[in-house]
Amino acid sequence: MKFDRILIPVVGTEIDAETINLACRLAKKDRTKILAVYIIPIVRELPLDAEMSAEVKKAEEILASAGEVALKHGFEIETDLLQARNVGPSIIDEAVERKVDLIVMGISYKQRFGQYSLGNVTPYVLKNAACRVILYQQYQSSESSV
Amino acid sequence: MKVVIMGCGRVGARLAAQLDAAGHSVVIIDLNAYSFRRLSQTYKGKAIVGNGIDTEVLKKAGIESAEVFIALTQGDNRNIMASQIAKHIFNVPRAICRIYDPLRQELFATLGLETISPTTIFADLLQKRVEG
Amino acid sequence: MYIIIVGGGRVGYYLTEALLKEGHEILLIEENPAVCEVINEELGSVCMRGDGCEVVTLEAAGTSRADMLVSVTADDEDNLIACQVAKHKFKVPRTIARIRNPKNKELFEKLGVNVPVISTNLILEHITEEVPTHPVTHLMELRDKGLEIIEMKIPAGCACVGRTIKDIVLPHGSILSLIIRKSQNPIIPTDSTVLMADDQIIAVTPPQAEAELRAVLIGE
Repeated sequence: MKFDRILIPVVGTEIDAETINLACRLAKKDRTKILAVYIIPIVRELPLDAEMSAEVKKAEEILASAGEVALKHGFEIETDLLQARNVGPSIIDEAVERKVDLIVMGISYKQRFGQYSLGNVTPYVLKNAACRVILYQQYQSSESSV
Repeated sequence: MKVVIMGCGRVGARLAAQLDAAGHSVVIIDLNAYSFRRLSQTYKGKAIVGNGIDTEVLKKAGIESAEVFIALTQGDNRNIMASQIAKHIFNVPRAICRIYDPLRQELFATLGLETISPTTIFADLLQKRVEG
Repeated sequence: MYIIIVGGGRVGYYLTEALLKEGHEILLIEENPAVCEVINEELGSVCMRGDGCEVVTLEAAGTSRADMLVSVTADDEDNLIACQVAKHKFKVPRTIARIRNPKNKELFEKLGVNVPVISTNLILEHITEEVPTHPVTHLMELRDKGLEIIEMKIPAGCACVGRTIKDIVLPHGSILSLIIRKSQNPIIPTDSTVLMADDQIIAVTPPQAEAELRAVLIGE
């Protein structure tokens, strides 16, 4: 399977490197464009275009290190930084706007109220994506998942 | 004293009976006539079926000459609105309003309503019990 | 403007849609999660689940930076309280409440909550659910055209019941534009449409012909 444009929503944890590694393996040199996006969620108390300087600085660092990981595989990736009310819909919008044909999402093993939880972003993306989606869950050894 | 009570639940029915027994003139309003089964056999006051946020119903209950209005339905908003009607439209000297939500209770207390939050009171009471 | 709308029923939905089109920032607050989901799917993520009368919900909604809060739930008391909380706790400059019972107008206005009298959402409201208590409701004035849009309900036993539109002589310039019949889709009347008791009619008429139109449609 060949992909022309791959979108990776990065989150700023160690899972980013793993998903970028995966995306680079799926990508073809000289053919595939890889795009990493970081989304800063904006609470309703603030206008959508609020100045989030601390968050922006952190996001730029996250995107920069995503770029470094990809570079090791010989890919120069594009990056995008967005401010949005809801992360899920903004991933979908970005995917449509950038005409991507694959989204690679990393998730970590999470529990909420004592039960495994997928959160709300992942199901939203799976439900609404107009392209292929690969979910990559980080391995969690049994001791650390408790 | 002339008292109008809105809401004939457990608290409303009990309060009506107590005030009635103490010699006050009581009128109780409820949306549902079935609620009046809770009133004690000895209750001599009036019971009116109707919506307490309807000014016509309130007039029928004698709100214009009432000294106290007490809102005790299950709905916080209904209680708040009825108390404001009593206070601002009919100038009832005292309007007492039950509000379960402590935050809403605080707010409307600052707006001049006489409010009681059973949630706060009961939680405090239980805490005291637990801590001895 | 940042406008918060409380209540995701028909009125809230159309209001949200209309105000979004005008380019405003809109947040709709609705309690029912299934309704929220539908709205978010159809209008983009504009709906937040919650009780619009609750301080915590309104806090999360960023109400303190809102320019306006419009409460259009089906219950007058909820609309009043949502507006009062917005106004007093969050200092929202303008609050507007939908009312079902016209008797509540005085109280709401005394408490500083605006009540719309004539507006597009009132039309929607009437179209979708209300059976007005008075025979003719003025929905909207088209001042520059010299026309008004009115709504009336055909009473049982009125002369026009059972007759086709063709057989009814309407005053000059008056048009029946829509018929709303219980548990049916709205009907666009044609010559052969037969009027029935309890039909709700939306009509366009010059104001001077209103009395005559009323006599024709709801006179005995």
